[in-house]
Amino acid sequence: MSFDLNFIGILIGAIMASSVPLILAASGELITERSGVLNLGVEGMMIIGAISGFALMVVTDNLFLAVIGSMISGLIISIIFGVLTQSLLTNHVATGLALTIFGIGMSAMIGKNFVGIPGKEFPLLFINLKENIPFLGPILFGHSVILYFAFLLPFLTNYFLKKTKIGLIIRAVGDSPTSASNQGINVTLVRYSCILYGGAMCGLAGAYLSLIYTPQWIENMTGGRGWIALALVVFATWSPIKVLIGALIFGGITILQLHMQAVGLRIPVQLLSALPYIMTVIVLVVISRDSRKIKLNTPTSLGQIFYKEK
Amino acid sequence: MNTKLRVSEISKIYPGCVANDEISLEFGSGKIYALLGENGAGKSTLVKILSGVVRPDKGEVFLNDKSIKLNSPLDAKKNNIGMVFQHFNLFETLSVFENLSIDSDKKDEDLRLSVNNILKKYNFKIDLDIPVLNLSAGQKQKVEIIRCLIRNPKVLIMDEPTSVLTEQETEDLFVSLKQFSDEGILIIYITHKLKEVLSLCDEVAVMRKGKVVSVSKTKEEKIETLANKMVGENLNSIKKKINNFKYSEEILKISNLNFRSDDPYETNLINLNFSLKKGECLGIAGISGNGQSELFQILSGEIITDYTSIKFRDKEISKLNPRERREYLMAFSPEDRISQAAVPELKIYENVALNNFKSSNFFEKGLVNEKKIKEHSKKILSNFSVNTDNVEMKSQFLSGGNLQKLIIGRELITSPELLVCFNPTWGLDVGAINYIHETLININEQGKSSILISTDNDELLKLSDRICVIYKGKLSKIMYVNEVTPEKLGILMGGGSID
Repeated sequence: MSFDLNFIGILIGAIMASSVPLILAASGELITERSGVLNLGVEGMMIIGAISGFALMVVTDNLFLAVIGSMISGLIISIIFGVLTQSLLTNHVATGLALTIFGIGMSAMIGKNFVGIPGKEFPLLFINLKENIPFLGPILFGHSVILYFAFLLPFLTNYFLKKTKIGLIIRAVGDSPTSASNQGINVTLVRYSCILYGGAMCGLAGAYLSLIYTPQWIENMTGGRGWIALALVVFATWSPIKVLIGALIFGGITILQLHMQAVGLRIPVQLLSALPYIMTVIVLVVISRDSRKIKLNTPTSLGQIFYKEK
Repeated sequence: MNTKLRVSEISKIYPGCVANDEISLEFGSGKIYALLGENGAGKSTLVKILSGVVRPDKGEVFLNDKSIKLNSPLDAKKNNIGMVFQHFNLFETLSVFENLSIDSDKKDEDLRLSVNNILKKYNFKIDLDIPVLNLSAGQKQKVEIIRCLIRNPKVLIMDEPTSVLTEQETEDLFVSLKQFSDEGILIIYITHKLKEVLSLCDEVAVMRKGKVVSVSKTKEEKIETLANKMVGENLNSIKKKINNFKYSEEILKISNLNFRSDDPYETNLINLNFSLKKGECLGIAGISGNGQSELFQILSGEIITDYTSIKFRDKEISKLNPRERREYLMAFSPEDRISQAAVPELKIYENVALNNFKSSNFFEKGLVNEKKIKEHSKKILSNFSVNTDNVEMKSQFLSGGNLQKLIIGRELITSPELLVCFNPTWGLDVGAINYIHETLININEQGKSSILISTDNDELLKLSDRICVIYKGKLSKIMYVNEVTPEKLGILMGGGSID
């Protein structure tokens, strides 16, 4: 019995690990979107984060530098998006799509020399506790510091948006940039900051993939997780806590259906592979039914170009 | 604590338009100043300059004889100039309190205390913790005013504040404004409504085409003198010839009109019967929401009802849709210009084509004949003195008056026998109202009939041959206009009865 329980604990630990990149990227994008900016470049920023983190690790042999570097490179890529959409007033959707295509191509080019190089072991915390406590051990302990950060992040984001002045200003800008500007708020500065923050979080999400989750560089290794993160933000109706729930469901069913495939259930593989997507959408739609709340959380100016009267 | 505000030689030029041309004005505290002008006269540009939203090309602003720089809204706030915009600057999804706290340096508890004091002092009733989108227009305006009051303003600027208010809300606003003025706040009140200037303000500056054309005490002015200054020409007062149409032929007969709706926001119509003679104008008065919009939609064919008989030129048309009714030479001008009558994102000529789908000239073999439509549109623009000849312009850039001229022109250019219009001059300035009134009288003189559904009694008394009142979906008896007085209308509109 204790063996079974421990196995379930390990499974839950694996599910948590697989949802980390989604939580990080979606939390970053959530802040960006709350300021009224729709950045569809999440996938591109993630994969740039993944390759630059891995490359820095190989070159410097320093994991700390690699993680920080991945965040900075995600941030730099998002500056391109910021300049285009906020200063040159280009269309958010088209620019975001271009950013993703650019990121995927760029990462493949940089990554050419890094294919096949083995990764470095990332330090995991509380390994002893993980092995000595049945069930709860594998759930709570033996993870990387980034995982603990990722699981705190939605709560921090929630507090930041609801309780702090800067959070209030971000929500106000997302609601009506014109009103905010007339109140003396520097809309462009707020939106730039949110874009850069989103970029850094996407970069970190990428680094988690290439340094911890599957420590190596594979071309296109984000595999659409950026798009899932984007969808999570919308289906979670811009609520950080629901993003966490959605990411866990998605990660959970992804892992479970792999086990089901391995066991050899007589359900078509295609259906099992589609299950995470279907279930995540259903659950998030069900928990976000309150149309009044949706209206209050949705950034009204999402995707709209703002320019100031002179 | 006297405040003096002076603007000196302010100019602002936009491409193709001089919005402010060397404006110089002086204001002192304890008085309410009106800034009066038609749409596009430059009032809004001037107040945007005073609130730091727009920077002037030239000129200076002095507060208590000191030159002040207004480069951003923050500068205006620092100088204690408060501004309530026509289009509210509120964050709809945030709570009232969040809206107030966003630009306040105070701690939340202190802010709540001072907001509660303001609520009590001016007898405002607003729940601070509900989202702004749940408030009425009048309450939203109060939130804007509170936002200004928190900062102890010396100057309070109100930009067309009554355009979204009900009559009761307007009265409440005037009471508050007088109270602020007594407390020493200098109030600048921007409007194009003449009655408001006379009832509220002490002094009035009239603007026209970017210039100040007159400054005077309101005591010395009357509606007519102000209107003439505002429009820049003598408005000929329009008078209609009275005619009883006893021997004219009947053109429209409505019998047994009933309408029942499941929608709680719609009004049921109960057994309406009336008829209309050739060349006659029937006015339908009433407080809005008493069944006018349902009646309009039944007349236009947007709503089809059972058992109702509508006979138009001896044909039964009650089951026809709006397009088919137009083919029988009926025409319609709905209440809401932007969402019902025109598509704001479409160009002028496209909007003209929209209600002429059947016209064989405009569409050939499924293709749009742009040249024909544009020619036709140009004719409408010039015949109905719309203030542009550019048919490629998007309709949303037309002012309300010009858009209404376009809509009425689009209907009348096909020479219909009957025009049904609903609040045709709502929200328009004096010049445009005068033009629309002339047009409506003209069509009657040409022997065409009209039904005028309106909430403006002056308009109804001026244009109608016969008048009735709609109250809770029922029509009063129909009276000749010379038997009707504003008092009688008032009684009927409130649900009373007269003999």
